[in-house]
Amino acid sequence: MWNTVFPYLLSGISVGGQYALIAIGYTMVYGILRLINFAHGDVFMVAGILMVYICASGIPLYASIPLVLAATAFIGFLIERVAYKPLRSAPRMSVMISAIGVSYTLQNLVLYVTGGLNQIYPTIPWISDSISILGATTKRVTVITPFLTLILVVALVLLINRTKIGMAMRAVSKDFETSQLMGIKINTVISTTFVIGSFLAGVGSMLYFTNYTTVIQTSGAMPGLKAFVAAVFGGIGSIPGAVIGAFIIGIMENIIKGLDVILFKSGILARPVGLATFSDAFTFALLIIILVVKPTGLFGEKTTDKV
Amino acid sequence: MNAYAKQKSRVPVILSFLIILAVYVAVFIAEQNLPPTSMLFTVLKKGATYALVAVSMNLLNGFTGIFSLGQAGFMLVGAYTYAIFTIPLSQRASVYQYFDGGIVQFTLPVPLAMILAGLVAAFFAFLIGLPVLRLKSDYLAIATLGFAEIIRAIFQWNQLGPLTNGSNMLRLFPNFNDFNIRNADGQVTVYLSTLIPFLISGLCIALIVMLIHSGYGRAFKAIRDDEIAAEAMGINLAHHKRLAFSISSFFAGIGGAMLAMYQTTVQAKSFTSAMTYEILLIVVIGGVGSVTGSVFSSFLFVACSEWWLRFLDEKQIIGDFEVPLLRNGFRLVVFSVIIMIVVLFFRRGIMGTKELPDLFRKRRIKPGKEG
Amino acid sequence: MENVLNIEHLTMQFGGVVAVNDLSMEINRGEIVALIGPNGAGKTTAFNCVTSVYEPTNGQILFCGRQIARSSPSGKMRRIYAGSNANAYTGESVRLSPDQVTRLGIARTFQNIRLFSGMTVFDNVLTAKHLRRKSNFLTAALHLNMAEEKRMREETHELLKQVGLMDVEDEMATSLPYGKQRLLEIARALATEPVLLLLDEPAAGMNPQETEELCSFIRRIRDEFQLTIFLIEHHMNLVMDISDRIYVIDFGKLIAQGVPDEIQNNPDVIEAYLGGGDE
Repeated sequence: MWNTVFPYLLSGISVGGQYALIAIGYTMVYGILRLINFAHGDVFMVAGILMVYICASGIPLYASIPLVLAATAFIGFLIERVAYKPLRSAPRMSVMISAIGVSYTLQNLVLYVTGGLNQIYPTIPWISDSISILGATTKRVTVITPFLTLILVVALVLLINRTKIGMAMRAVSKDFETSQLMGIKINTVISTTFVIGSFLAGVGSMLYFTNYTTVIQTSGAMPGLKAFVAAVFGGIGSIPGAVIGAFIIGIMENIIKGLDVILFKSGILARPVGLATFSDAFTFALLIIILVVKPTGLFGEKTTDKV
Repeated sequence: MNAYAKQKSRVPVILSFLIILAVYVAVFIAEQNLPPTSMLFTVLKKGATYALVAVSMNLLNGFTGIFSLGQAGFMLVGAYTYAIFTIPLSQRASVYQYFDGGIVQFTLPVPLAMILAGLVAAFFAFLIGLPVLRLKSDYLAIATLGFAEIIRAIFQWNQLGPLTNGSNMLRLFPNFNDFNIRNADGQVTVYLSTLIPFLISGLCIALIVMLIHSGYGRAFKAIRDDEIAAEAMGINLAHHKRLAFSISSFFAGIGGAMLAMYQTTVQAKSFTSAMTYEILLIVVIGGVGSVTGSVFSSFLFVACSEWWLRFLDEKQIIGDFEVPLLRNGFRLVVFSVIIMIVVLFFRRGIMGTKELPDLFRKRRIKPGKEG
Repeated sequence: MENVLNIEHLTMQFGGVVAVNDLSMEINRGEIVALIGPNGAGKTTAFNCVTSVYEPTNGQILFCGRQIARSSPSGKMRRIYAGSNANAYTGESVRLSPDQVTRLGIARTFQNIRLFSGMTVFDNVLTAKHLRRKSNFLTAALHLNMAEEKRMREETHELLKQVGLMDVEDEMATSLPYGKQRLLEIARALATEPVLLLLDEPAAGMNPQETEELCSFIRRIRDEFQLTIFLIEHHMNLVMDISDRIYVIDFGKLIAQGVPDEIQNNPDVIEAYLGGGDE
């Protein structure tokens, strides 16, 4: 039993870590702008494509990794400046539509550049090596991901709680207008948020695509949506919430992927019934349940309407 | 005085009717005289389909203020319902080859199957609406998006294969070309394969317009403008939102059935959230809150993506000069940029909240014209 | 005399804050009653309880003798409840939704104007007639209820004539000047055919002349529509001029009630408005 479950659990934790890195970008942006940044999953995908092209151009790995991360962060910054900043005073729906437009644009750009073909992700040595732990064979990245995620999250939480820009971020997410009146440079804070979020999505993309080995223009859509669900699940606006939500979703999703095999091997099912079809659907079912039962998520704050 | 003003305001409406009628006549004449393979008809058929779906989405997003992203899911339900109940019995064995010919062993007439497609989609919407319609703006958007994904997974589930053919394609059901009237030799005598989708779509849109102009339509708009005030005026929010959601899905279901006919095949995996986004962008380009805008921008959108911008995807050589950048996919890049420009700088879209008759009204108010 | 509204021991507590504390009052048919008090005294909260926007923490509200709200503190609120009469309204609680309350015959206006911004003046009022329609969804959607629609349009027209907004009926609601927007809110509320009309600061933002006109307007609609009117207002001239009786609350508690003359000379009221230590 354990031997059957363990590999799924392991990859669940790993995927969870990767979702967590994307989810932070969603939750921070939502916390500050009240915007579901639909393009965030595509930023994650673009980071993957950049890595493919930068490595193919012959730049050595130790230079290309920081280059990709910097470029991804810059793309995040650029998207905010071009597509969201002009709509600062527009209704929330307009900004969300703009985000969908950006997502559409990024996907089409990548489609144009790549010709719509699967791109092989470059092998990053050491982390792509196969290792064996507790009887399961996996890539080293699987084991590294959760630790790297936790280190980055701790660093981020320190940044938010201990630095001046972090304090500004907290103020803006509490009250946009008032913090503006208090002399906080809103645009700097928002840009910083996008830069951090995109940077983390870049890191996440390296870990994720090392595992999945190919990138295509639609690669970002599903992980993006799932990371968003993780952010909602944990209580949107809360960074620890997003991380915990991401791990829960990653693990559950992988267990469901293997549920057929697990139940079949342990004799509960007489034959496989194709439950793996529901690994994505499950995430959304979870989302709807949490929205209906506790819309503020596990760690979210309650808000009330004023009449 | 007032009665006089009311009477005068009928003129733009009559003018609009005449224009629409002229369009239908033009479609009919074109169809009899142009080769049926012309790109024009592809655009018109798909445009008519998208127009219905876009208007149904506008009913929710533009007129009721419910920001739903579940449209692709309801189209999927409609497309599958239509396909499942219209595949001829003789073809079922080959379509459902992995599932012993499937469990549905009868066929329905096309009109009935289309209405059923709408009803099943509306029923799904009713069930989904019970929990999600209580949610606010963006949470509602993401929940409906999630439901569309869940529906997609369910329809692909192998265990439901005898009904849905699992992840395999449904095909060989009646499509738009079957509307053409043929003589005994199988030769087409009257072409109707474009006119009929136009009529179906037009009828459905007319019903939506009538709804919008009824007391219920006003109640929907009240909810859009201010939920708290609407409730204080005695409008039951839950009831009206559920109504709008189910009706929108009913027409999205019929739109799905039309899409199935247009494509001649149906497969669950093509009804992705990207399809919903595309329809949303059509609504935004046309103007959120304008039926005319949605219809107009559907045809524009389809014409650009399928026809007018096609040249961008191929190498173009003018004289000795090869135009740079042009290759597969460039069309979509140009297209995305246009969409972003509309979203950022022309936020009200082509029509804003104006309708076809308003275009004539505006001209009348201007001084110096016809007194 | 017949009571239209009875508020009994109403307490509304948000977390630890008691916004309305043990408020009891009654309004008779045909009266104009004002609820006054300094800013933040809990006036609008009381309104929101009557119209079911909020569920009261404790107490009961009767409209024409019928329970429209009844509740007692429960759950976590039971522990932190700071009001009185905690055990007086146990048993089955009654809670209606705002639209049900409106259907029973209580209409309201809002302190911060909430018109339907995407509609014309005419449609704003016409929409409020929706709740009294007799046609079902299908006949309405297919426009088979011509007679009813025609009648509703004529009534709307008539109503706009009565409140003096007929000349602007085709304009967008939000394009009206402030004072007329307030009038439109009242017209819209009247379209729901209420027995009791709640006006939340109807004179806010009006100039002295408009306020004076509003005075006679409120009296006139009370007579023409056989209304009972319950209003919140800060303009003391208006309140003293038109109210039959006045209730005064401060910090959620009722501190005085009576006819305008009594209230004007009540030392508690003066202290609440001017602050203590003046004497």
